Amino acid sequence: MKLRLLIAVSALLGVGTRFTYSQQPATSAADQQAAALNKYCVGCHNNTAKTAGLTLQPLDVRHPAEGGDAALETWEKAIRKVRVGMMPPQGAPQPTEQERNALVAWLEGELDRNAVAHPSPGSPGVHRMNRAEYKNAVRDVLGLDVEPAALLPPDDSAFGFDNIAETLGASPALVEQYLSAAGKISALAVGDPDTGPAAEVFRIRQDESQNVPVLGMPVGTEGGGMIHTTLPLDGEYRLDVKYMISNLGAMKGLEMAHDVEIAVDGKRVHFATIGGPEDFAALMRNITEAQQKVEARSSTRVPLTAGPHDISIGFAYSGVVQGSVRLQPFVRDSQDNLDATGHPHIETLTITGPFKASGSGDTPSRRKIFVCRPKIQAEEKTCAKTILSQVAHRAYRGAETPQDLDRLMEFFATGRAQAGAGGGFDRGIQAAVERLLASPKFTFRVERDPVKLTAGEIHPISGVDLASRLSFFLWSSVPDEALLDVAAKGQLAKPDVLTAQVRRMLADPKANALVENFAGQWLYLRNLEGFVPNSSGFPDFDDNLRQAFRRETELFFNSILQEDRNVLDLMTADYTFLNERLAKHYRVPHVYGSHFRRVTLTDPVRWGLLGKGSTLMVSSHTDRTSPVVRGKWVLENLLGTPPPPPPANVPPLNESNQRGGRVLTMRERMEEHRANPVCAGCHKLMDPIGLSLENFDAVGAWRDHESGGGSALINASGTLLDGTEVNGPVALRNALLKKPEIFVNTMAEKLMIYALGRGLSAHDMPEIRKIVRDARGQNYRFSQLILGVVNSKPFEFRAKPGESKPPGESTHLDKGAN
Amino acid sequence: MTFLTKKVISRRRMLCGMGAGVALPLLDSMIPSSTALAATAANPVKRFGAVFVPHGERPGFWTPSTVGADFEMSPILSPLAAYRDRLTVVSELCHPVDGHAVTVAAWLSGTIPKRTVAEDVLAGVTIDQLIAQKIGRDTVFPSLEVATEDFTGYIGGCDPAYACAYINTLSWKTATQPLPMEINPRVLFERMFGRPGTGKQRLARMKTGRSILDSIQDDLKDLQLDLGPRDRSRLSDYMDNVRETEARIQRAEKQAAANPDIPDAPVGIPDSFPEHIALQFELIALAYMTDLTRVFTFMMSRDVTQRTYPEIGITEPHHALSHHSGDEEKKKLLVKLNTYHVTLFEKFLKKLRDTPDGDGSVLDHSMIMYGSGMSESQVHLRLDLPTLLVGGFNNRGSRHIKVAPQTPIANFLLSLCQYYGIEMDKLGISTGSVALS
Repeated sequence: MKLRLLIAVSALLGVGTRFTYSQQPATSAADQQAAALNKYCVGCHNNTAKTAGLTLQPLDVRHPAEGGDAALETWEKAIRKVRVGMMPPQGAPQPTEQERNALVAWLEGELDRNAVAHPSPGSPGVHRMNRAEYKNAVRDVLGLDVEPAALLPPDDSAFGFDNIAETLGASPALVEQYLSAAGKISALAVGDPDTGPAAEVFRIRQDESQNVPVLGMPVGTEGGGMIHTTLPLDGEYRLDVKYMISNLGAMKGLEMAHDVEIAVDGKRVHFATIGGPEDFAALMRNITEAQQKVEARSSTRVPLTAGPHDISIGFAYSGVVQGSVRLQPFVRDSQDNLDATGHPHIETLTITGPFKASGSGDTPSRRKIFVCRPKIQAEEKTCAKTILSQVAHRAYRGAETPQDLDRLMEFFATGRAQAGAGGGFDRGIQAAVERLLASPKFTFRVERDPVKLTAGEIHPISGVDLASRLSFFLWSSVPDEALLDVAAKGQLAKPDVLTAQVRRMLADPKANALVENFAGQWLYLRNLEGFVPNSSGFPDFDDNLRQAFRRETELFFNSILQEDRNVLDLMTADYTFLNERLAKHYRVPHVYGSHFRRVTLTDPVRWGLLGKGSTLMVSSHTDRTSPVVRGKWVLENLLGTPPPPPPANVPPLNESNQRGGRVLTMRERMEEHRANPVCAGCHKLMDPIGLSLENFDAVGAWRDHESGGGSALINASGTLLDGTEVNGPVALRNALLKKPEIFVNTMAEKLMIYALGRGLSAHDMPEIRKIVRDARGQNYRFSQLILGVVNSKPFEFRAKPGESKPPGESTHLDKGAN
Repeated sequence: MTFLTKKVISRRRMLCGMGAGVALPLLDSMIPSSTALAATAANPVKRFGAVFVPHGERPGFWTPSTVGADFEMSPILSPLAAYRDRLTVVSELCHPVDGHAVTVAAWLSGTIPKRTVAEDVLAGVTIDQLIAQKIGRDTVFPSLEVATEDFTGYIGGCDPAYACAYINTLSWKTATQPLPMEINPRVLFERMFGRPGTGKQRLARMKTGRSILDSIQDDLKDLQLDLGPRDRSRLSDYMDNVRETEARIQRAEKQAAANPDIPDAPVGIPDSFPEHIALQFELIALAYMTDLTRVFTFMMSRDVTQRTYPEIGITEPHHALSHHSGDEEKKKLLVKLNTYHVTLFEKFLKKLRDTPDGDGSVLDHSMIMYGSGMSESQVHLRLDLPTLLVGGFNNRGSRHIKVAPQTPIANFLLSLCQYYGIEMDKLGISTGSVALS
């Protein structure tokens, strides 16, 4: 699959690599490898048997770099499979470790030498910003936080990431939404005085436990949540609270009195007591009336300033004495819409306004935009030019032209003229910013090739293009002025300057984008939000735990990044970050409160990524573990050897665990499935990995026994693809790290895909190996991997693309689909 | 904490001192005072729509047991009993290849999508787009593409070996250009009616929008300079999109001038999934009624969906349930879910039927296709695809047609295109056409 795809990629990009055949005579080392290949591989992969559709017979292992792209892809695939021990398969004659390493080293050496002689950095296509990049760019260009999911459609992803240039397409609907987003964002950034009142509804997830302190909320509160929002104008705003109504149609938790507090930026703006004998009696008399009264009492209207605010809503901490824990069978304090604890639940907070708007106020975005103020009308044009050239410099990433400024000034003039007296100048700026945000010069990254070059020729990309590649890689955003300055002066090509910029950028809080977008997708953390474990199977699971899972892994990844640790620590570190909810889940004592702190883990089963609730949950089903999904997740994301897709028409795992009155264990069910020889080939790669993690249930809690009615002890033993016997997560981890460079190699590949915004081909693999080799001497420090990517040929260079081939027939039948 | 989009309060409500209504008001009160339903008996407007449900329909509970005009209503179809005279059920259509991604991408294109995970996606132009070229040119939106699921939380959830685009959309503008589907009711609403405001404000905004789109074409020309052919062609596609949007706004301006009042906008994506589906249906109906579009595609939920339906007692994700492994209890739940989807569809049909249009109703002048890309979900069965048509347009109704086994759905799709007067004799892998009336 990968092979076919990569060939297609290079065909599409028109990168016709020309190979000059190496003239060296075959050495004895080459002959040895030819013999090894014949002995261990060609028995199956020959012209007659063509096992797995592959024959090595026509290829010449003495000269692996010859034979064109298809041969390169085949050899790279072979390296990958032989290195991890996936080939030759168990049961076939095995090479000695020495023979195995020698074959891999020979192939790598030849291919790497070829790559140095014939670099092929690729030619990434025009790159449209994705949603996350758009959000960050708006923040850095205008000083404004926006929620992109409400403005733009979601982006398709490929190769595991949603920043792949070729996948980020366009449509009239997208153009409309860019236009509409430009209108909304420019109005909010400038503080359009015509902004009418609007309501924003913030919802607290129904499965949040509200009888305990919540992550991010002030000390002394329980339940509720913290809202970060940007208000458009100075004025009055209504804050309305809605409480959860149970399945019986009544507001829950009014038996006892509870204090509700709304605070803005840490300062209380409203306090109310709800519940208690009076409210409860009223509820018995007239449900609707009583509830309306309680909600009216919880709501308020307050004057607030324009700009960003943290608005919190929660209950005052009631402690363990009052009501809240009296009959609590589970950690989660409610079951769907049944509430077992008598604690009210905040469902939504609605912010409505502005009313009696009194002006645009003094906001971070206005401060960032209005770097000058015209005192008299004659100064307006000069000041507008100053403002707009600064904004355009950031938004167009140093590539702005005098014509660009003229176009923005036209819109300034129209906006200025449209408005009446008073807001005229600001309105003009707003119109120009709207025009700028809608421009493809903002939303697209376009890299140019020197006109004088011919197709296929390679050249270093320009300073400003390199600045953009860097900032979109490390910050998922536009470059800042410091970076653009260095680039404009032509200094970014100097290795020490480039290294210094990378280090500066990694130290910047904006580098958190690597955690959110790189780790968030590599480790599937983004899947957590939509993951709802079956509540009858996992009654303890609540949103507090879901948020803790995400936070833990983000903090953990970030600690490796910011402390510049060995990336293998991602697999082996004996520390993590816990709060009380998560510590309880992991059975780690003496951790109290909702805030996170670093904790040393004494039990090695929890060390590294394989022990994290987040990764264990996103690789499970909602009602049970899936050794297959876990195995696949490890193969794909940690070992870089994704199993081939399942053949069509195979029967899925029998979901019932009952056979003739007996409850089967997960292992027995998997074995039943593997009895089918069509399935066995791949499942024996995936299943043993997943089965060795069976002591972690579908939400990552430790268990000794099977779930789902069985009482058998978990058997977490198995034989990995290279024949290693494992039993449990610790043994699995050790086995996976027997050759640590495999994990580092996988991570380097993922970073490279993410950094370039394209899939990798065989031409990139020598670059990956170089990154890993160079980092090895530096103790695999995270920054060394990042610098390796940044200093690689594909990142700093591009080939001038040739003519593209037209797409094939529209009804192209691929036999491989069956 | 979930973020919902803004809802603007109308001046009238503000003066009454009311707070923000949360739910979308009833459709009846949303129809703008003067709509574009000006079709005459002599020249009725033609409409087409396609509604997709994932994971098939329970075999044995969907297909009517008898064929012909007096076919017996099946359990899953029973909510549509009142539409019998407008209903055509077609059975035994099939796809050539099994799987989630391929069958979704083939559903309206009648092709075999290319097996690839990224750059070189290749399916076929879908019939909604072909029909839109024929009947949608005068409306603000030649077509609307609507769905309900934000797939960004499904990393690793696309069909192995197939690009995510195949499974994320029903509609392809060309064989290489999938059209994204809108999932947020609020955004869909604003696309249809513009950001809320007074009639004057909205017109002014449209004018600004047009002048921006006009102006950014200069930016695009700058960018295209000296680019490689592939990048140049991508940007020129973008230019086409910009021009098309410009034309849309122009058409919208005319319509906005005729309809100064717009209904209240929904606040965002509702918590409840059925409510979300219902809301999208309401907006599509509204787009039909106001003649903003005559062609739509709606993916009620996405293949491999993790959605649950606690409202009707289904707490297991639809995809997990669909691989029932022969469990009778699960099969029963699937019938329940299939039927539930049909009831949601029925509410939509009722609105179309109850809205007068020329000499009949909107439904009389529409043809809505409903179905799924597989039959038995346990094995992704590509045979006997559940397929039906409702509506009066060129469609006699009261029929259950059984085509010859192994007839590609492409044949059926080709016939639909021919119904709309498109002169063509081949679509994707079609081998002929299907006699529908």
